[in-house]
Amino acid sequence: MKPAASVLLLTTSTGFGFGLLAWLGAYSALGLLPGHARILVVVGVATALLFASFGLGASMFHLERKERAWRAFSQWRSSWLSREGVAAVLTYPVAIAFAAVFWRDGQVIWTRLLGVAALVASLGTVYCTAMIYASLKPIRQWHNRHTAPDYLLYAVFSGAVLFATLHTMDLGAPGATASVAAAAAAGVALIAKRAYWRHIDTQTPLATLAAAIGLPKGVEARPLDAPHFTENFILRQMGFAVARRHAVKLRRMVLAIGFALPLACSILAGLALAPMATTTLAVACAGIGLLLERWLFFAEATHVSAVYYGRRI
Amino acid sequence: MTMLPERAPGAKKLGLVIDLDTCVGCHACAVNCKEWNTGGEAGILPDYDKYGPEPDGVWFNRIHSYETDGEGGSRTVNVPRSCLHCEDALCVTVCPTGASYKRVQDGIVLVDTDKCIGCQLCSWACPYGARELDEKAGVMRKCTLCIDRIYDENLPPAEREPACVATCPSRARHFGDLADPDSKVSKLVKERGGVDLLPGLGYRPTNKYLPPRRATIPTAPVKPPAPSGKGIGTALLGLLDKALSR
Amino acid sequence: MCACRCGIKVHLENGKLRYIEGNRDHPINRGVLCGKGSAGIMTAISPARLSTPLRRTGVRGSGEFEAISWDEALRIATDRLAAIRATDPNRLALFTGRDQSQSLTGHFARMFGTINYAAHGGFCSVNMAAAGLYSVGGAFWEFGEPDWEHAQLFLLFGVAEDHDSNPIKLGLGRLKARGAKIISINPVRTGYSAIADEFVAITPGTDGLLVFALIHCLLEAGRVDTEFLVRYTNAHHLVIDAPGDAEHGLIARDAAGRELCFDRSSGALVAAQAVGTDPALLGEFALPDGRRARPAFALLAERYCGPEHAPEAVASRCGVDAATIRRIAAEIAEVAFNQPVVLDQPWTDTAGRRHATMTGRPVAMHAMRGVSAHSNGFHTCRAIHVLQMLLGAIDTPGSWRYKSPYPKPIPGGPPPGKPGTPGGPLDAPPLGFPRGPEDLLVDEAGEPLRLDRAFSWEAPIAIHGLMHMAIARAYEAGPEAIDTLFLFMSNMAWNSAMNPGETTRMLSERDAQGGYRIPFVIVADAFASETVAYADLVLPDTTYLERYDCISLLDRPIGSAEGPADAIRIPVLRPDRDVRPFQDVLIELAGRLRLADFADERGAPLYSSYADYMVRHERRPGVGPLAGFRGEDGRGIGKGAPNPRQLERYVENGSFWRHELPHEQLYFKHANRAYLTGAKAMGLIDDDAQIVLQLYCEPLQRFRLAAEGHGLRRPPLRLRERIMRFFDPLPIWYVPLEEAMTDQVRFPLHAITQRPMAMYHSWGSHNAWLRQVLPENRIYLHRDLAAQLGVRDEDWVWVRSRNGSIRCQARTMDGVNRDTVWTWNAIGKRAGAWALKHDAPEFRRGFLLNHVISEYLPKRDDEVQHSNSDPVTGQAAWFDLSVSIEPCGPETHHETSPRPAANPLRVRWAAENS
Ligand SMILES: Nc1nc2c(c(=O)[nH]1)N[C@H]1C(S)=C(S)[C@@H](COP(=O)(O)OP(=O)(O)OC[C@H]3O[C@@H](n4cnc5c(=O)[nH]c(N)nc54)[C@H](O)[C@@H]3O)O[C@H]1N2
Ligand SMILES: Nc1nc2c(c(=O)[nH]1)N[C@H]1C(S)=C(S)[C@@H](COP(=O)(O)OP(=O)(O)OC[C@H]3O[C@@H](n4cnc5c(=O)[nH]c(N)nc54)[C@H](O)[C@@H]3O)O[C@H]1N2
Ligand code: SF4
Ligand code: SF4
Ligand code: SF4
Ligand code: SF4
Ligand code: SF4
Ligand SMILES: [Mo]
Repeated sequence: MKPAASVLLLTTSTGFGFGLLAWLGAYSALGLLPGHARILVVVGVATALLFASFGLGASMFHLERKERAWRAFSQWRSSWLSREGVAAVLTYPVAIAFAAVFWRDGQVIWTRLLGVAALVASLGTVYCTAMIYASLKPIRQWHNRHTAPDYLLYAVFSGAVLFATLHTMDLGAPGATASVAAAAAAGVALIAKRAYWRHIDTQTPLATLAAAIGLPKGVEARPLDAPHFTENFILRQMGFAVARRHAVKLRRMVLAIGFALPLACSILAGLALAPMATTTLAVACAGIGLLLERWLFFAEATHVSAVYYGRRI
Repeated sequence: MTMLPERAPGAKKLGLVIDLDTCVGCHACAVNCKEWNTGGEAGILPDYDKYGPEPDGVWFNRIHSYETDGEGGSRTVNVPRSCLHCEDALCVTVCPTGASYKRVQDGIVLVDTDKCIGCQLCSWACPYGARELDEKAGVMRKCTLCIDRIYDENLPPAEREPACVATCPSRARHFGDLADPDSKVSKLVKERGGVDLLPGLGYRPTNKYLPPRRATIPTAPVKPPAPSGKGIGTALLGLLDKALSR
Repeated sequence: MCACRCGIKVHLENGKLRYIEGNRDHPINRGVLCGKGSAGIMTAISPARLSTPLRRTGVRGSGEFEAISWDEALRIATDRLAAIRATDPNRLALFTGRDQSQSLTGHFARMFGTINYAAHGGFCSVNMAAAGLYSVGGAFWEFGEPDWEHAQLFLLFGVAEDHDSNPIKLGLGRLKARGAKIISINPVRTGYSAIADEFVAITPGTDGLLVFALIHCLLEAGRVDTEFLVRYTNAHHLVIDAPGDAEHGLIARDAAGRELCFDRSSGALVAAQAVGTDPALLGEFALPDGRRARPAFALLAERYCGPEHAPEAVASRCGVDAATIRRIAAEIAEVAFNQPVVLDQPWTDTAGRRHATMTGRPVAMHAMRGVSAHSNGFHTCRAIHVLQMLLGAIDTPGSWRYKSPYPKPIPGGPPPGKPGTPGGPLDAPPLGFPRGPEDLLVDEAGEPLRLDRAFSWEAPIAIHGLMHMAIARAYEAGPEAIDTLFLFMSNMAWNSAMNPGETTRMLSERDAQGGYRIPFVIVADAFASETVAYADLVLPDTTYLERYDCISLLDRPIGSAEGPADAIRIPVLRPDRDVRPFQDVLIELAGRLRLADFADERGAPLYSSYADYMVRHERRPGVGPLAGFRGEDGRGIGKGAPNPRQLERYVENGSFWRHELPHEQLYFKHANRAYLTGAKAMGLIDDDAQIVLQLYCEPLQRFRLAAEGHGLRRPPLRLRERIMRFFDPLPIWYVPLEEAMTDQVRFPLHAITQRPMAMYHSWGSHNAWLRQVLPENRIYLHRDLAAQLGVRDEDWVWVRSRNGSIRCQARTMDGVNRDTVWTWNAIGKRAGAWALKHDAPEFRRGFLLNHVISEYLPKRDDEVQHSNSDPVTGQAAWFDLSVSIEPCGPETHHETSPRPAANPLRVRWAAENS
């Protein structure tokens, strides 16, 4: 599948934002936030919404007819994209209420409940995003049991490193729990990513060319002539393929930059070694790494329709 | 509404039956489709770079050629590919706007281009590559099963069929109601063992494809007769012995 | 739009084209349209359309022109042609492509008085036309069709698309629906061959051998229809066997000129066409004058029973194994003789015998350019007709059938016209049917009179002329011989040229004084083709939706086995440019030149337009361009006085006319009394006698006898051996000439082209839809061969022949004869042409195989250089090419070669001048 910048930014950036919001919510729900962390919560929620809004804004660039975007909220009964939109929009008032009440009252029962709501809403939105991809049957690299949990994990992970940074900014140190959480999330995300790759590498293609053209099993088919000589929409979108050599290199970079470095940084930050620098570095690495990861998520994905053109699926 | 409709009893399942045994791969259906839909109510099917280095455009129907090896040896198979108007049309359910929908009364899958936001998700959801983005209007396009022909009361009944069916010179394309077991198309599917494309994916396409076959003429095995030296064989001599009448 | 001539309905919206659809009532296409037809809208709005008459300003080929008025254009043309006509009319050479007005252009040439006229057929499929018309009085080439409703076995030789493209597809669909078996004999498995039930990957140029082997098997098994042979063919006619005699090999005739046969019941020589005899098909008989004679069939049986014609002997050469050949022969015999089609339809034959039923052999055959575009194609096509005759499978239920107005008396028409009074018309149409040496157009020394050397000893039966030689010969002949080359609807500087590089050089070469070797070139075209750039004067035509056209019975008609038909096209769009229908222009030109039949005695033009001509012109009394709705009342069929309301009647009838033959006339037309009398009454034929099918082709022997030194007209010495060899009255096979003269070690592969179904020669590329399908082409080769050569899909390779090299990209496949490579025809374009942008793929990766085909055979010291043509008919031998393939090195430029420099049209408009 052709990676489109808008979609990469959307999923990565909303991951950070909603991940961060989820952490704020979770901390609040569990009563882990010190009562005086008003600034942390308000800045945190604002940052989360900023990231989310940036991502959602970027996604608009993927729409050919932006002026009609409002229509996208209507089909929540069947469409994960619609659900994502609805969930994202619902998350905003929840997040704002959470921040506002916290500003006014600090840690109280209401903020704990609103924390739970923010957690659910933000992860729910991420889940909807993930399901957009996970529900697409023609793309085996997406339509599998890894996609949804992975998206949640990456959001939790990117939110964690961001949370740790804010925590450090506000309180001078990330605090043990945030660091541990960030490090742990990085570790789990790393393992999940490797598991995902192992999974897609061992998958068999969804179909043979013979099945695609209705011939019985055991018949071998090869393309002779394609309908048109030049690339068309389908080939540009679904026929995109990344060279194996490239992919291997990129995978290594994702693991190193996206997960291993943030993991290391989080441990260092937890050990109070230049916490501001290390947490910021963790965020930067996670950002770059996850963008790369997302690029690969698209570039390595193959669409079954490309089989008609004899492309690898 | 992008929820798939419940199949109402008695509802039609309109679709195409394409005979791979007869398709010569001439592209006539594809071009005629383009012609009809360019001027038709569905709007304009755009072309890009018409006279330049990369001519491209939107087509609802594209013709592939393949070579296959199977029982009876290698052969060439031409495969026209267009929307199959699936029963489990994921392209419809993923649509966030309701632009994509499947009609209750006849199962035709359509895009309402006035609603479409061009998010392209539906094209990702279609395993058959049947949807193409109109990069000029920014909306998704797909085969309409020529809804503006098949229901056009101004046309004589014989002409109420999709443009691609009407034009196919080898008559490899058939149109009809696949819900009606007595329809011409259902009978063809039954007689000829019509199949689904990519059955494993579970989209339950309405359109069916009739597989290639081979007609044979049984004859006794022939061995070369033993070399009879030169001259004319006995069989011919015997034949020519018989009286003729001019 | 193309030579298939389907009926279309054009829908307009606000004066603009909205939709073109097939006319469901039309006999040709019955509602279907091909891809090109469906893309007609884009042709009508193509930017490549010419928009004004042009006069050359730059050097030839530069593309520099100035716009001139029609008046000026016509004045230039008239002055030039009038001067030619006053001195030597033959200095005008008029060559036209696949237009539908050859009866008009041919008549113009005749009235002008030039013998130098030719049309499409010469580079196309004259082998099929000639072999058919000299054998069965019809031909595969547009003049016949399989009985799609009854055939059980269909053999298709060398067809990718055909003139009858929609009818063939409709027919194949019918065969498929009925479960009949289709065997495609073709080196390449695409299109029709893809859906064939059996594909025979024959080696190019060897179909004759395969057919002989089939004949061999049938003879061996005694599976021939002897009854059919004696009734309908000349199989029993006695052939004089007197080597050295002036009549050796001719048919023995009695004093009244009637052919003789030996009647076994009376034991006497009798008129071969007499009824109630028991003619001998074998044996040797003494003629009254003591010479010996043998039935034609005996000669045939002796020849093809020979071991050299056994499947085992030809298998490796044909690339088809012997068992397959034997099985196919058995299948043919099985269907022909064990599964006859019997129609409950009484009919009466020419002998007056009433038959209760029509019984046929449901084996149908069709062949086209895969057979014809080889230099042995005439004989190969004859071989197929002989096979059909042996099976009794000519115009019977289930077999191949004549399309009315065929059959015609063999060989099909009068001999070619000869100059009459100086400055006057020819005594017959310029293209005709020589029956022997006396009909050739040669001088005292036996050398050609015609520019293209048609009807000379180099190509005696060149009944359509030699289009592919026109430019080369005009160049060679020089300004003394030819002044004006007038080209209409043919892209003769590019895809219909063998060797376009040479051709364009010849067109632009000047002598020391700066004059062009071909002094004046007029091109009538509708689009900015490659050839337009080489014109001195361009007459811009309308597109097909902007003019009247006439698909006439006098031309290449659209009739079917069910009856004769013709059609008109009416203008539906008003041209938005300063263009005029070519036919109108030609008629005006003829009027200005005061040609007989176009102007009255006082020199006033007779016709105001082509539409007017279509209605009022009479070729013979009562016979005009249109056969339908004739007579004052419009009831005349075929014959009748001109009807002023004729065109309206056509329009009311869907722009075509069709006469449906009664059932009794649908088969055995060559010997069906009711049909023949009816056809005569309609003016389709002049004589309603039985048309005797020519198993043995006597006219060929006449040429041969001349080569042996008999008669007054003899070939020049250097050509005698050639005539002796190729003018065998029974079909022969020989290695195609170019192949035989080419080093097969250096160039071991056959190279051929096919027509893509979605492109029409050169003019699909300016169509925005069609060019998406095929903007560039590849050379296709067998996967095994590719592996052997180290070539993979899309690799750049050199295709080399003795004539040059082409750099192009390869594609591999399984469905191709192992020793054959092929590509689509006419996809490659010259940069600058067709209003395409400078970086179009048609220029950069599309290529023409023509660049490595030569119009001449290799020169041998002892001989003149022959054209690359069939020695009998002059048919262009496009498919005789031998090549080698080698991968390009890594230094490959990703572009095709040769790539002549761009020469786009640059027009200076009058306004800019002042
Ligand atoms: N290698 C190879 N070469 C071949 C062949 C092959 O098989 N292989 N086939 C040969 C055969 S059979 C043929 S028939 C020739 C065909 O070759 P051509 O006769 O050259 O055919 P076209 O390329 O169609 O050129 C026809 C010309 O007519 C012009 N034209 C189109 N419509 C109109 C119109 O309405 N009015 C006028 N005045 N002009 C119009 C086009 O612009 C074009 O310039 O090619 C031959 N060349
Ligand atoms: N779409 C389309 N239709 C056309 C045209 C066009 O340009 N485009 N052109 C029109 C014209 S002018 C013509 S003449 C007709 C020609 O129509 P066709 O007769 O179909 O001519 P080609 O396409 O040249 O196909 C020749 C076929 O013969 C095969 N062949 C080559 N050599 C041999 C051989 O030795 N033996 C056998 N058995 N087969 C062989 C080739 O593989 C190819 O399939 O088409 C007409 N119709
Ligand atoms: S073929 Fe594709 S576009 Fe058509 S209904 Fe099925 S899934 Fe949807
Ligand atoms: S592109 Fe249009 S039709 Fe397709 S899913 Fe998006 S809104 Fe729906
Ligand atoms: S049914 Fe109509 S829209 Fe669909 S492919 Fe055929 S012609 Fe095109
Ligand atoms: S028009 Fe008919 S024969 Fe031609 S490609 Fe389409 S389905 Fe096949
Ligand atoms: S075959 Fe195609 S281009 Fe030719 S007349 Fe018929 S529809 Fe037109
Ligand atoms: Mo041709």
